[in-house]
Amino acid sequence: MIETDVLVIGSGPSGSTAAKHAALGGVDVILIDKKSEIGSPKRCAEGVSKKGLTKLGIEPDSRWITKEIDGVRLTSPNGTDVWLTEDEIELPEAGYILERKVFDKYMAMEAARAGAKIKIKTLATGLEKIDGGFIVSTESMGKKEDIKAKIVIAADGPEGHVVRWAGLKPTTKAKEMESGIQYEMVGLDFEKENVIEFYFGSCAPGGYAWIFPKGDDIANVGLAVLQSIADKPAIEYLDEFIKNCPATKNAQPVELNVGGDPVGGMPKKLYDDNLMLCGDAAGQVNPLTGGGIISGMTGGMYAGQVSAKAIKNGDCSKKSLKEYDKLVRDDLSKDIDRYKKVQEYMLTLNDSELDDIAEAFQNINFEKISTSELVKSLVKVSPKALIKLGKLI
Amino acid sequence: MIVKDWCSFCGECAGVCPKNLIIVKEYNLIFNDEECKDCEICVKACPIKALEKEE
Repeated sequence: MIETDVLVIGSGPSGSTAAKHAALGGVDVILIDKKSEIGSPKRCAEGVSKKGLTKLGIEPDSRWITKEIDGVRLTSPNGTDVWLTEDEIELPEAGYILERKVFDKYMAMEAARAGAKIKIKTLATGLEKIDGGFIVSTESMGKKEDIKAKIVIAADGPEGHVVRWAGLKPTTKAKEMESGIQYEMVGLDFEKENVIEFYFGSCAPGGYAWIFPKGDDIANVGLAVLQSIADKPAIEYLDEFIKNCPATKNAQPVELNVGGDPVGGMPKKLYDDNLMLCGDAAGQVNPLTGGGIISGMTGGMYAGQVSAKAIKNGDCSKKSLKEYDKLVRDDLSKDIDRYKKVQEYMLTLNDSELDDIAEAFQNINFEKISTSELVKSLVKVSPKALIKLGKLI
Repeated sequence: MIVKDWCSFCGECAGVCPKNLIIVKEYNLIFNDEECKDCEICVKACPIKALEKEE
């Protein structure tokens, strides 16, 4: 049996950030991941905000940035589009499109450099609560091994087994799990470069379709749907979209990505005795955009910091780990709750209402581009939005 | 449950299973068929139609 202070399960950006900050706090950390290659295959459109990376203290690196983004295009079902680009507006939420395969590995390397031990191709298969911690059973290429940890940080993604093994409620209900699919494609015809594009309406029921450029004529082209309101599998919506969208109809796929995106917000319980959840496993995702890299890493950072502190104080009880809950909710809850309301409102709009909004947006002068500015404008042009969302602004 | 050979092991099905009956390994899906109540939420959620209920 291996013993450690902190065991982080899952080395996506959130888990690696947790492992890094726990190790920086001076405690023993093991980070495990079931995959052979950290970061691959991606389940993600790879967009992050510059502001988010800055907040996490991460210097942009050309090894994992494929494209700098300085604008947004929103398209309604009848093709009416709203361009929000740098020529016209100030851009506090500009961002990058990453290469997750490289980025995720780089974040795991940061954890290793801080002192964490990494075990790849190692799957957690069960969890047993003991006095003063957990015993996590793992399996790696046929070898079974138990790891005894004072604190387990579960960053095991939207399928999050750990949370359920630990007897907490599953973080995301089935009806709040987006079904996501994406091709990385080559040969796109962009109208403007450096712009991320969103397409709303019945092309992707419950979600939206996106085109996130990755330099030259390359882009992630994908969509997410809510299966509770979709009437066919996500891939059929995507193939339909690609056939009809002028930017993609001549493009060819070089990679297929699939995966769930939990858009239900954070659950009531993010921690228990000797246990914390972060990342997708903790619903740390913007419910409107589905984006969860920065928010998941933020959760990981706090979980890592709190774990090191708890170990040093010799108290890993839920009372001691409650600090994580406070830190992460103070930072993320306001946005997650607000965007959840907007997402729920978007679900009520049919194609013609979306077209009307896009039409009304033509006459608005956007001064800044950010999700919250867009919501403000939405309330200005739509009486229905004002009733549902007025209080949020 | 029949897992088609084009399954990509993304974990969507495991994430939506109300009874936590699906384990996703790197290149393998393990179903606990005995406790499965055939709700088929996983079949519907799969983005690429890689799951099929056994008749």
